[in-house]
Amino acid sequence: MAGEENGSGGGEFYLRYYVGHKGKFGHEFLEFEFRPDGKLRYANNSNYKNDTMIRKEVFLTPAVLKECRRIISGSEIMKEDDNNWPEPDRVGRQELEIVMGNEHISFTTSKIGSLVDVQSSKDPEGLRIFYYLVQDLKCFVFSLISLHFKIKPI
Amino acid sequence: MAAADVEAVDFEPEEDDLMDEDGAVDVDASPRAPLPKLKSAITGGSSFSAPKKTKGRGFREETEAERNHRFASREFDSLDSDGGPGPLRSIEGWIILVTGVHEEAQEDDLQNAFGEFGEVKNLHLNLDRRTGFVKGYALIEYESFEEAQAAISAMNGAELLTQIISVDWAFSNGPFRRRNARRRSPRGHRSRSPRRRY
Repeated sequence: MAGEENGSGGGEFYLRYYVGHKGKFGHEFLEFEFRPDGKLRYANNSNYKNDTMIRKEVFLTPAVLKECRRIISGSEIMKEDDNNWPEPDRVGRQELEIVMGNEHISFTTSKIGSLVDVQSSKDPEGLRIFYYLVQDLKCFVFSLISLHFKIKPI
Repeated sequence: MAAADVEAVDFEPEEDDLMDEDGAVDVDASPRAPLPKLKSAITGGSSFSAPKKTKGRGFREETEAERNHRFASREFDSLDSDGGPGPLRSIEGWIILVTGVHEEAQEDDLQNAFGEFGEVKNLHLNLDRRTGFVKGYALIEYESFEEAQAAISAMNGAELLTQIISVDWAFSNGPFRRRNARRRSPRGHRSRSPRRRY
């Protein structure tokens, strides 16, 4: 486990996910990113209960980055396109940006409440991949953040 | 220079100058030249001009300036770190990552295998949201460094439920990158990147 594992197996890597909306509690959002040097950043702003903005960051080892890449590769999200996904709207917005190797995606869509929304969209196959990948990534990040900082990330 | 292109990201304990606190902003940028603009493609997609295939509406939408503030420019909490090499202690112990975990593994399988090195204070065995099977990794917390180190030494490359697993630290004191790139003045190093954009 040495050099080639900059969380990569080769090439660049960056990931950022955002989900949020603006409403009567202001701008509420969750965002995290994996940076090329291994830094994981996590921000969660909910104004609902007294404006508690959580911002955490920690450096990950190459092993963790590598697992993150594996999850992304396994999803085949890089083959998808957001052309036919629901546009972000008043209810909310999601953004997923990934750089892997020489590919760079930056997808946006609305919030997805459930698989029903996926099924009724114009690109259920692609949106389903997005839907599950986002859940798997959140799950990974929440575990990392909660174990390291002992907070409930959500 | 050629050195900057060499893909040698090492993560070696003997390296000790990982964090130069001042100039952190510059230093945060990737050692690989075209990367420093990564922080926001949605606001600044065009700066990604490198030879990348880009895809998605995020590149086409104009966006609020607040995106930058939201994430880039604020204080983030982190646990104390000396910025030196090696694994980083978490708030209540030491966390290791197990990968290559069999999709049908149970928590007991990991408890049994990893309990040998000390009490497992916490175990996250997350599931694939689509299939319901184990996603393939586990995060394990030990109270002491020695327990975690012993687990890594003994279990990395071992077989668990017919699969070879990898075991390593989860958190690090500092970034992983080429040391030489950092040792140079960050300015000198970074000034090269804009050239690529034209």
